[in-house]
Amino acid sequence: MAMRSQVYEWANLSVGAATSSLRRVAGATPTAIAADQSVDIFIGGIGNNITKPAETTATQFVVIEDVAASPINGGAVQVRINTTDYFQNPDVTVQAGIPGLASPYPVGCSSDGGTTSDQVLSSFNLYPDVYVLPGQTWSVLYKPRTAIVGAGATSTCVACFVKYTLYDGPDALIANRLLEMGVTVNPNNVDWYKRTLIEGGSQ
Amino acid sequence: MAMRSQVYAWDASNSTTAETLAVGQKYSIFIGGVGNNITKPAETTATQFVVIEDVAVSGSQMGIANALSGADTSNGIAGPRAYGQVRINTTDYFLDPDNIGNDGIPGTASPYPRTVGLQPSFNLYPDVYVLPGQTWDILYTHYEGSTTAGSGGTAGEHVAFTKYTLYDGPDALIANKLLEMGVSVNPGNVDWYKRTLIQGA
Repeated sequence: MAMRSQVYEWANLSVGAATSSLRRVAGATPTAIAADQSVDIFIGGIGNNITKPAETTATQFVVIEDVAASPINGGAVQVRINTTDYFQNPDVTVQAGIPGLASPYPVGCSSDGGTTSDQVLSSFNLYPDVYVLPGQTWSVLYKPRTAIVGAGATSTCVACFVKYTLYDGPDALIANRLLEMGVTVNPNNVDWYKRTLIEGGSQ
Repeated sequence: MAMRSQVYAWDASNSTTAETLAVGQKYSIFIGGVGNNITKPAETTATQFVVIEDVAVSGSQMGIANALSGADTSNGIAGPRAYGQVRINTTDYFLDPDNIGNDGIPGTASPYPRTVGLQPSFNLYPDVYVLPGQTWDILYTHYEGSTTAGSGGTAGEHVAFTKYTLYDGPDALIANKLLEMGVSVNPGNVDWYKRTLIQGA
């Protein structure tokens, strides 16, 4: 299984006084997030987290294909590779990233958390994809423009979603090779390169 | 009938006995003992090849402001907050970035059924291949909603759906050959390989 479609879903949900949990837990309630607070959805200390930063080993190559967030409270998501933010303003200054209004999660949700009858659809397609090369660390940062209220009658649950493809072992080497060649890294092109290797070897 | 599009739908409420669907626990939609099940684990014989093309589970709305929604969303979620994991033999397909198996595809990203207000964010590509002789499973997990299943459970609350293509006999051999060649296994490519064989003869 050298090429695998992968997903990661984060929500600001945790149990009791804790602001985060390792993986998902039952009986969780929303955790507060301050206005303009940038939260790493993997290890940010809010909601469901994992054990360590997302990183690729020397034999892995990651292609991030979709990033989405709840549109409520002006939420936006930024992709960070090592220490560099992927989405920038035209004047090369820092910005919050893809607005949840442009890439909503879930697709079809309400823009304000339930009071209107609108259904927000995607205006955004992450193409070209974002490559995470072997040995790089990557993260996805969620930032609301206004504060998210934690547990209680006025609490709000927000979520983010990332879809990526993990290339491992020989397929990661091929992905690197495609990158050097200037060819888009996707499953079809990795398969194409394999075929050319096989055809070359059989002649 | 050597290439067949197949579907399997599961509903936790779809059995005559009362059952419990514990929160946070993984249940096989084939043989999990809850809802409609089949007689034995899903497995391929030596002459079968399965390509799983879609997995979807009960959808949930997230991003809900409790003060505004007026819905029953004590934690800002409407729905069972369900997930579907694909397991091949003993290996979970979906992993967290720290390489530990997770709950799988969120129903929020791949809802079943789809509605105007809940549409898919996820497309299972590349597909998942189940090679000859392997056992496969779809595991359902939920974190919200009712824990009552079977008779007395709410129809449609905990549901899952999978769409796959079953290649049998000679077409399974061709599917294996395509896999060796690094060609995606799909009906179009299997037909293409057959045509090349016929033209070569």
